[in-house]
Amino acid sequence: MINAISTLSVLALLFGLGLGYAAIRFKVKGNPLVDQIDAILPQTQCGQCDFPGCKPYAEAIAKGEAEINQCPPGGQEGVDALADLLGVETLPLDHEHGETKPKRVAVVDEKVCIGCTLCIQACPVDAFVGSSKVMTQVIADECTGCDLCLPVCPVDCIDMIEIKPTIKTYVPTLKELVHA
Amino acid sequence: MPNSNFKGGLKIENPYPSNEIDLIRIPLPDKVVLPMQQRIGNQAIPCVSIGEHVLTGQIIATIDDDQCAPVHASISGTVTAIGNHVYAHQSGLKGLCVTIESDGKDEWVDTSIGCTENYKACLPLTIYDKIRISGIVGMGGAGFPTHTKMRLAAGCKNIIINATECEPGITCDAALMQAYPTKVIRGVEVLLHITGAEKAIIAIEDDKQDSINELNKYCNNERIEIKVIPTKYTSGAEKILIKTLLGIEVPSGKFASDVGILCLNVATVVAMFDAVVENRPLISRAVTLAGSAIKEPKNFQVRLGATYDYLLSFVDLEEGSHKVTMAGLMMGINLKGTDYSVSKNTNCIFIDKAQESVVAQECIRCGMCNTVCPVELLPQQLYWYSKSENIEKAMDYNLLDCIECGCCSYVCPSNIPLVDYYQFSKALYKKQTQEKAEIEKARERFEFREMRLERNKSERAALMEAKKIALKEKMAKDRSQKEKINAALERVNAAKIDNIEEDAS
Repeated sequence: MINAISTLSVLALLFGLGLGYAAIRFKVKGNPLVDQIDAILPQTQCGQCDFPGCKPYAEAIAKGEAEINQCPPGGQEGVDALADLLGVETLPLDHEHGETKPKRVAVVDEKVCIGCTLCIQACPVDAFVGSSKVMTQVIADECTGCDLCLPVCPVDCIDMIEIKPTIKTYVPTLKELVHA
Repeated sequence: MPNSNFKGGLKIENPYPSNEIDLIRIPLPDKVVLPMQQRIGNQAIPCVSIGEHVLTGQIIATIDDDQCAPVHASISGTVTAIGNHVYAHQSGLKGLCVTIESDGKDEWVDTSIGCTENYKACLPLTIYDKIRISGIVGMGGAGFPTHTKMRLAAGCKNIIINATECEPGITCDAALMQAYPTKVIRGVEVLLHITGAEKAIIAIEDDKQDSINELNKYCNNERIEIKVIPTKYTSGAEKILIKTLLGIEVPSGKFASDVGILCLNVATVVAMFDAVVENRPLISRAVTLAGSAIKEPKNFQVRLGATYDYLLSFVDLEEGSHKVTMAGLMMGINLKGTDYSVSKNTNCIFIDKAQESVVAQECIRCGMCNTVCPVELLPQQLYWYSKSENIEKAMDYNLLDCIECGCCSYVCPSNIPLVDYYQFSKALYKKQTQEKAEIEKARERFEFREMRLERNKSERAALMEAKKIALKEKMAKDRSQKEKINAALERVNAAKIDNIEEDAS
């Protein structure tokens, strides 16, 4: 009787210590759900969802403070993927937040730019290079096409140019194949 | 004769047999249209301007990219246009091209400077650089820059010259070998000199008896071996050829260079010989013209950039609507019309009488595709996953190992364009991978920016705090100093009063 009780107590203590150690050693930092949601979002950082970036929107979704259909760059596919992840009914994309547009890149009109640096401050991914009173340029590879630089430009010298498919980036559609 | 014992593959009769294979030289074209985007690599940037006079062999476009070879003027004349033109590509998209109109003189750049016959006196690095600036790419169809391939295969033990030309109907390599057997052999000798490889094997299929005889006649180097392999389609696929000849299997995701083998097409070797010994860059190639709408199949040595229509004016073309295929019946692409120009990897143009297009039926799971697949994949599974855009699953079934040989599509009783599906999946995979990388980069940059703004804020706050403290200290110091001054003043005043009192007394 005493044997059994002591054995079980010792075992309980050992397991307890083990679990306690594991809880500290393998503690998950941050909210894993936020990261999973953030992984689906397109990282345009455009703020069309009314949050100041993709991560804040992901946090809001995780807390249940935002709907899953507020991200126009992600499109309907993005909404579906989020619904799939969260195990909820999918919703149609909320068009109040904007329309899904093809991928674009900002281009600065060199003749018009006055070097006010407002776009540099507005860009969420630091894709602008420039300094006060010198011409600003866009690092095309870094630009997410978020449009945030457009409203701040005092001289309207930024254009969003659609990225057209080239021979290298061409992907045929399945429809074409069926008719081939 | 080594056994071509690879699994699958097909024995396909030449659909356009001819009695004689001959390489025909044709007059210079009046105009050439040279595409700036080659099969891989970045688009070359033109370094000539409209109205400029160029000489044959002059570099007209280049870019600093390992995957890209420079482009040369293939005729002498005037640059008349630098603009978009339709490419010979299944997308039908336009791309940048340079158009040159001939002055009819064919004036060359100076070809006397270079390695010449005495190439053995040149360092391998010099010859390698010569190959690089001569714009040589793999001419079997892949279009991979030869200099990069050679750099990757540095220190290789074996060289394989792919003269199999296993695609049915194409005879341009055979014609080239019969016309220039010495160039082939000497070209291989140049290769042996540069790479220091132990031996070179020239692999030819047994249906090209004339080419074999010609090569044997001129080959007197014991380091070069001419191996005849049985005629079977896809025997010329690089990895399969290596396995047939040397028994070495190149692992999935690796290249021939990873197992110490340099594998080059025979036309590439001839182009390389021209570049190294004759100092002529790649400005022409052999092209097969055949098809049911062409009376007699012919091979032409033609300047790059010549239009298809110009080439077709040298054959008897039947009237009517045509089906145009570029680069072979099995692996080639169907084109709309003939408004294209010959590029470095245009090995053939087939013009067939237009037939009613066959309609693809549902897959009946007969498994014929599985038996013919030469790289032992499961085409049926790949088809299902490609159709449902389940790229991840298709990748599990080694989609990227597919060589797009077209055997599965050829045997499919339901006429499903299987290879088109795999090409679609591969393109989608590439796109998705790139997008993922871009997304990851955007996230990193966004998070870095947030971090930076936060850091700036806290740094600023810390700075303000430090200033405040400094000010306080200064003020405190000021106060104590004031007190000292006051005390001193008081002392002085007291002393003055004392003095006055003393004087008064």
